[in-house]
Amino acid sequence: MRDGHVNWLCRLVAVLVMLFLVAPLVVIVLASFTPTALVTFPPQGFSLKWYANIFTSSTHFMDGLVKSLEIGILATLLDVLLGVTAALSICRYDFRGKNALLNYFTSPMYVPSVAFAFVLLQLYSQLGGVPGMLRIFIGHFIIILPYVVRNTVSVLHVFNWTLEDAATSLGANPVQVFFKITIPLAKPGILAGALLAFLYSFDEVALSSLLSTPRFITLPIRIMNYMELTFDPTLAAISTLLMVASLVLIILMERLVGLDMFMK
Amino acid sequence: MATLELQHLTKKFGDFTAVDDMNLSVAEGEMIALLGGSGCGKTTTLRMIAGFTEPFSGTILVDGKDVRSIPPYRRNVGIFFQNYALFPHMTVFENVAFGLKLQKLPKAEIRERVENMLSLVKLVGLDRRYPRELSGGQQQRVALARAMVTRPTILLLDEPLSNLDAKLRVEMQVEIKRIQKELGITTIIVTHDHEEAVSLADRVIVMNAGRVQQIGTPQEIFDRPVSPFVADFMGFSTFLHGVAGPEENGLLPVKCGSHTLHVRTDGGADIAPGDACVLTIRSENIALAKEPGDNVVSGQVRTSTYKGHTTRLEVTGCFDETVYPALSEYTEHKEGETVQLYFPPERICVYKDEKKMEDQ
Repeated sequence: MRDGHVNWLCRLVAVLVMLFLVAPLVVIVLASFTPTALVTFPPQGFSLKWYANIFTSSTHFMDGLVKSLEIGILATLLDVLLGVTAALSICRYDFRGKNALLNYFTSPMYVPSVAFAFVLLQLYSQLGGVPGMLRIFIGHFIIILPYVVRNTVSVLHVFNWTLEDAATSLGANPVQVFFKITIPLAKPGILAGALLAFLYSFDEVALSSLLSTPRFITLPIRIMNYMELTFDPTLAAISTLLMVASLVLIILMERLVGLDMFMK
Repeated sequence: MATLELQHLTKKFGDFTAVDDMNLSVAEGEMIALLGGSGCGKTTTLRMIAGFTEPFSGTILVDGKDVRSIPPYRRNVGIFFQNYALFPHMTVFENVAFGLKLQKLPKAEIRERVENMLSLVKLVGLDRRYPRELSGGQQQRVALARAMVTRPTILLLDEPLSNLDAKLRVEMQVEIKRIQKELGITTIIVTHDHEEAVSLADRVIVMNAGRVQQIGTPQEIFDRPVSPFVADFMGFSTFLHGVAGPEENGLLPVKCGSHTLHVRTDGGADIAPGDACVLTIRSENIALAKEPGDNVVSGQVRTSTYKGHTTRLEVTGCFDETVYPALSEYTEHKEGETVQLYFPPERICVYKDEKKMEDQ
């Protein structure tokens, strides 16, 4: 321990930073188990009643969850189809304005979602009769596309296209080349993009709050609405559950993508 | 195993002609080297044979059948790519087995053929490794095994040895030749290295700017290049310009500067007295002379470089041009020393000076 002092100081700072990041989360998690009617810290006693409360129909959280999942999964799947095709054609072929096209596909990232929602709202009201699910779906479908495109492009950008020629010369037809070579090698980018896109959609508030109809409300909006009326530990409980779900997803992605990245 | 014939093969990219009216006939089991600098059209030729690029005009015949309408994945052409192009997400075994799996062969047969091929390229025991876990030489042998395991009718090797260090390069040259002869595959190898071409191929084709300059056996190309360009490409470094005199007894006198060199042509050179011509000779064929005589010229040593098995000199003062003899015996020569050099008449190549003719 030559640099004992530096080491000691470094560790202290590191621990403090970590505490700063984790503390609010710990407070939320602990508070979710409180039996009291208000969020208190430290919790007095232990109870799961706020968790049970999530599942009561009066909160509509379950309904919101289902709708959020519907939107998120559907939009992500369709965006993967569209985004991967777009990324492939941008990266594989040499043509004028390919950079412009890439910027076009990623432009929704730079447009404020409120402005975007406003435009959509105008459009919907002029068309009239657009069902609630479609209203939100279209919005999400567009704003999460950049995540799929960007992440796929980042992998394809350094893709060795000779591999496709190699597979072709060994007897693989274009479809086989695509599914045995191109897609497996682009998978890390596609999965990472899909996960980010899904999480963005699942978390999205600004656009959804403006576009939702009384009959189609996503989970984040349900939570926001609930918060406006009541401020009980149910919020802490659902936050805890969402954190756990995110954690599971991230670990899953590490397993899927992390390993693949390692294999390259 | 098949014969390959290229007839009037031409490829254009816009206004640029990459391959210009190429004709070539390759016998069964023959190994041909396409030799040329970058952009000479050798890789484009390879890509046309493989089917990755369509010819502008001309035909490609394999076993006498035109293959232009056959898509690349049905041509059964094995290719070795310059950067190996191994599939990074597959093990050595999976890489080599890729083509066989596509043919839907029984598992046992695939295993047997892959293992045979891996032992042929001396990679036994590495079948579960991923390409990134292999050395450059090993990766290269995997690429070779993968290209040959499907028993292609034609094998194309694109700069197979360019990424290797000198020792491994020589080893792999022997290896490639051994395997190619063992399997008897008709092979075309693309390279920019004349030593590689000469040591590997049965016949060498020198290309420049999309055109074939010379087709011949390694000896022919090495000793009797048909043009100063080919000579330059084959490592000739001494080039002299002069004017021809009348041929006598099979010897053509050429006046270069203040000296006259006699070239043995035996009536084979199409050069008339008074023609401007270019002479060239291999550095190793220039010898030291003890006394003056025919084809002996004296000059001053400018530099002397010891190269191990030869000593390379830069000699000026004999002609307008610098002469580069490579002496096999080790003799020390100081800067400014006067040496007498002998140019054996049968070792000198003579060409009409096309550039000068155009200028006139």
